[in-house]
Amino acid sequence: MSAAPSLLSAAWQIARKDLRQELRGKESLNAALSLTVVLLILFSFAFDPAAEDSKQWSGGLLWLVYSFAGALIVNRSFARELMNDCLEALRASPVPSSALFLGKAVACFLILMGVELTALPAFCVFYGVSLLGAPATFIATLALTTWAVTVLGTMFSALTVNLHMRELMLPVLVYPMLIPPLVAAIEITRGVITGEPVPEIWFRLLIGFDIIFTALAVALAEVVLTD
Amino acid sequence: MREKLLYGLGLAAMLYLVRNLYVIFLVLPDELAQGAIYRVFYFHLPGYFTAAICYLLAGIFSAMYLITRKWKWDSLAAAITEVGLPFAAMNLITGMIWGRIIWGIWWTWDPRLTSALISALIYAGYLMLRQAIPDPTERAKNSAVMAIFAFTSVIFTYKSNEWFRTQHPGPVLSIRTGGGTIDPQMEWMLAHNLLALLLLAGLLLAIRWRQEERQREIESLRREALSFS
Amino acid sequence: MIEARNFTYMFYGFAAAWTVIVIYVITLVTREKKLGQEVATLKKLIAEKEQSR
Repeated sequence: MSAAPSLLSAAWQIARKDLRQELRGKESLNAALSLTVVLLILFSFAFDPAAEDSKQWSGGLLWLVYSFAGALIVNRSFARELMNDCLEALRASPVPSSALFLGKAVACFLILMGVELTALPAFCVFYGVSLLGAPATFIATLALTTWAVTVLGTMFSALTVNLHMRELMLPVLVYPMLIPPLVAAIEITRGVITGEPVPEIWFRLLIGFDIIFTALAVALAEVVLTD
Repeated sequence: MREKLLYGLGLAAMLYLVRNLYVIFLVLPDELAQGAIYRVFYFHLPGYFTAAICYLLAGIFSAMYLITRKWKWDSLAAAITEVGLPFAAMNLITGMIWGRIIWGIWWTWDPRLTSALISALIYAGYLMLRQAIPDPTERAKNSAVMAIFAFTSVIFTYKSNEWFRTQHPGPVLSIRTGGGTIDPQMEWMLAHNLLALLLLAGLLLAIRWRQEERQREIESLRREALSFS
Repeated sequence: MIEARNFTYMFYGFAAAWTVIVIYVITLVTREKKLGQEVATLKKLIAEKEQSR
């Protein structure tokens, strides 16, 4: 068997392990989902969803809510392994570091996607917007942005896992780096909601950041996860 | 010897900067459209370039640390990131003052301005991360990884006025436009002031680097002082 | 009038650029002092420990 499939299958094993663990305990899943709904309700007081210009800003609000949920989920990604020294065991296992990292990122991605898709109808109902104008564009944006959030988030989750202030440091470090892809997602979502054309640059930006973040994270996973 | 070299470097930077100020104020004429205010540009752009060079070197030093695992590179990366931040602040503040006159507003959420601000925030985050990790090896390794990630924001800032229609003026230097957008005399002045600021940054780096090494010394002394007691 | 404001803001710009550098140099100097003191205290501590041994 060549190296690439074994790496991917090892990554998938890790992802499955994380997903199973999450589905059993539902630690971050429940927290992230209820946070999303609470934030959607809270924001409806800060910004009037019945306002005429609500179509202009509701997409931005959605991404704000999603990024909060994302921080919650990636925070647990490596922290979960601290109990019983599971992280040490994983490092000692024959799974390559890049596969370990990729698996964790994929698990976070799937969990966050689940949360996002579940919360999406609530968003559409609360804010009276329809995403059916360009569903494929929206789903692609959702997947690309969620991947950017989770791949970078998982990387920084690994970087901050041993800190006492982990929960504080992670968002402080990750959010500024996520601003360009999040802005791209906000602009595209605004276009999907209002039906206005979206400049191509935002798509390129989103894909570009996905590629750069993924490449850097996979290349540096070895360094971060071994001492 | 090192002390004397530092004093010499400091003196040279100071003299150079004073000479540049003299030329900026008394030799060069006002800009046609903008009047006197355009002169802050001689600090605005060289300030940014200095900061960007610091960020770039921080990335390179961090990579060098990851390759060689020598403390020297870690100290250098930490020192140069910190030195870059005041120059980034210089760039942002002079830019705001210029914007107040030319645009009538202090700040606008234009991709160039926003991404320059984000870069500064990310590098401030880098320094916070360093403070938060007690173990020296882990601190060096993790902050090096972050410095490499952080550099993407610098590239984004640099390219943003090509990628987007920005309120921030487009490229003016002839290496990027092919010439004709800027008076050669003014471009020379920019190069001079960039050199002067780089000299200053080099001096600050030397001082900050020594402090970083001393910090490391303190950490090992502390371990010694607190052991077996 | 506008010319005067233009000129004043140019002055502000230069003042700000230099203030930033001066503030940073001041923080460097204070840190230098703090580090020196810390080294001295630690060395004293270690010397005392050696003596008591």
